[in-house]
Amino acid sequence: MLNNMFLKTLRDQKRSLLYWGIGIIALAIVMALFYPTISKMSAFNQYLNQLPEGLKQMFGSAIVDYTSPAGYFSTELFSFMVPLLLLVFGIGFGANAIAGEEEKGTLGFLLANPVPRWRVLVDKFGVLAVSMVLLGLLFWVGLAISVSAMSIHISLLKLAEATLGAVLLAMVFASLAFFAGSIKGNKNLSLGIASGTGVLTYILNTLGGMVSWLKNYRFISPFYHYMQPDTLNNGLSPLHILVLLALAVIFFALSIPAFNRRDITV
Amino acid sequence: MSNNNIIINTSKLTKYYGKRLGIEDVDLEVKRGEVFGYLGPNGAGKTTTIRTLLDFIRPTRGSATVFGLDIRQSSVDIHSRVGYLNGELALYNDMTGEDLLKYLGNLRGGLDWQYVKALATRFGCDLPRRIQGLSLGNKQKLGLLQAFMNKPELIILDEPTNGLDPLMQHEFYDLLTENKKEGRTIFLSSHILPEVEKMCDRVGIIRQGKLVTVETIEILKSHSVRKLEIHFTRAVPKEKFNNLPGVRDVVVQDTLLTCNVVGSLDALVKAASQFEVMNIISHEPSLEDIFMTYYNEGKNNVK
Repeated sequence: MLNNMFLKTLRDQKRSLLYWGIGIIALAIVMALFYPTISKMSAFNQYLNQLPEGLKQMFGSAIVDYTSPAGYFSTELFSFMVPLLLLVFGIGFGANAIAGEEEKGTLGFLLANPVPRWRVLVDKFGVLAVSMVLLGLLFWVGLAISVSAMSIHISLLKLAEATLGAVLLAMVFASLAFFAGSIKGNKNLSLGIASGTGVLTYILNTLGGMVSWLKNYRFISPFYHYMQPDTLNNGLSPLHILVLLALAVIFFALSIPAFNRRDITV
Repeated sequence: MSNNNIIINTSKLTKYYGKRLGIEDVDLEVKRGEVFGYLGPNGAGKTTTIRTLLDFIRPTRGSATVFGLDIRQSSVDIHSRVGYLNGELALYNDMTGEDLLKYLGNLRGGLDWQYVKALATRFGCDLPRRIQGLSLGNKQKLGLLQAFMNKPELIILDEPTNGLDPLMQHEFYDLLTENKKEGRTIFLSSHILPEVEKMCDRVGIIRQGKLVTVETIEILKSHSVRKLEIHFTRAVPKEKFNNLPGVRDVVVQDTLLTCNVVGSLDALVKAASQFEVMNIISHEPSLEDIFMTYYNEGKNNVK
């Protein structure tokens, strides 16, 4: 695990990945366990359909049929909980990658080796991407086993597609935090920028569902591209996925010249 | 053209952090195989110079080469031939010393682990221990080890004796001497004059971001002002000590004579030998004294 920077960074994530993995699998199992009870409460649907439009938007359009498996998992997991968890993990990792190392004072020590700066970014971002995909995979496996064991009728493929969407959404903000850390080695600033943007774009997407003049700006929000396709019912929408992927890649690509140009503080 | 025997060469190297001065117009030349001491008080610009040479920070003006290679264009090549110890040493606390050294060795390639073990034994490093629990001195030893372990051509050490006890300092001097004998070049920064005197061939003195002078140790010492106290058994006449070459500020109080001496003590000792001497106490010149000497000379030259 000490052969190169990629493996060493992965090694540093070992424990964190273990705990996050356990947590996210537990979430999948617990939510699946509650489904049989929910599915029998048909009054829920009528109640939810009377909610104001804005609130419905918050849960995604699948709310129309809350007691169906797709409606339930969309609302309870994919509309908020799963993206939130992945975002917290991703932003934390992204902010820590460069800015964290710089604040600890080990960045100069690392860069004194015959390793170009871009290589440091590539290796660290690589571990970020691998970790996010791994967490998504663990979540999906946990969910797939649970729904199969409980004979809940939902497509495992669509669950995988929705999970991928959530991973990509989180990657956008993780990548933004990474980028911010590459511009200026301040971890808290990076955390703040990425989470702040997350909250603002989340609100933009939600309000955009209610406020007519905001509607035209919803496309700016990554959350729009994640929520809009209603992946559990309709499958992935290539266009929306591409937007998320492109954002993540662009932030990463921008971090290379930003980091190359600047002074390292420690 | 680049000369093979010039390892470090800076030309008008200048770094401003925004408006704050780091270093200004530093012209420095370090030759192959020498131990070069970079002496200055805290905040004088020693670390700034080193970090610029390693391309961690970028010069505002001026340029520099290491091994004849441009510090900006060839930083990776330069790094592969340089061992470096940073001043404010921060290591990966969650690793053991052994893991850290192996990891750094892998980033460079071609590490001779037997040599690392030999060095570790010599410095009494507890390699299997996690770095978190190590004392400052023990961390510093690890930092030194990683700077020397690859047997690089040039070793840059920022305040290398930080936290080392006298025994380990001695071991470190020996290691320096060995490396010098094997033809490696060493550039080290320090704010402690006796330390630099002990280890270095030449010294660059930096003060407030400007390189004041570069001298050999001998010349530096000959310029330095030493404060001397001579205790006699009987009261001595002051006249006998006036107008001795290099002797200034003579004060005689009964049996005690104090003065400042520049360069050789010969004249003073010969004058004193006419009387019965109990004790001679020599105070090492402080860094500030030497700075003041050069600083004043610099001012006088301008006039």
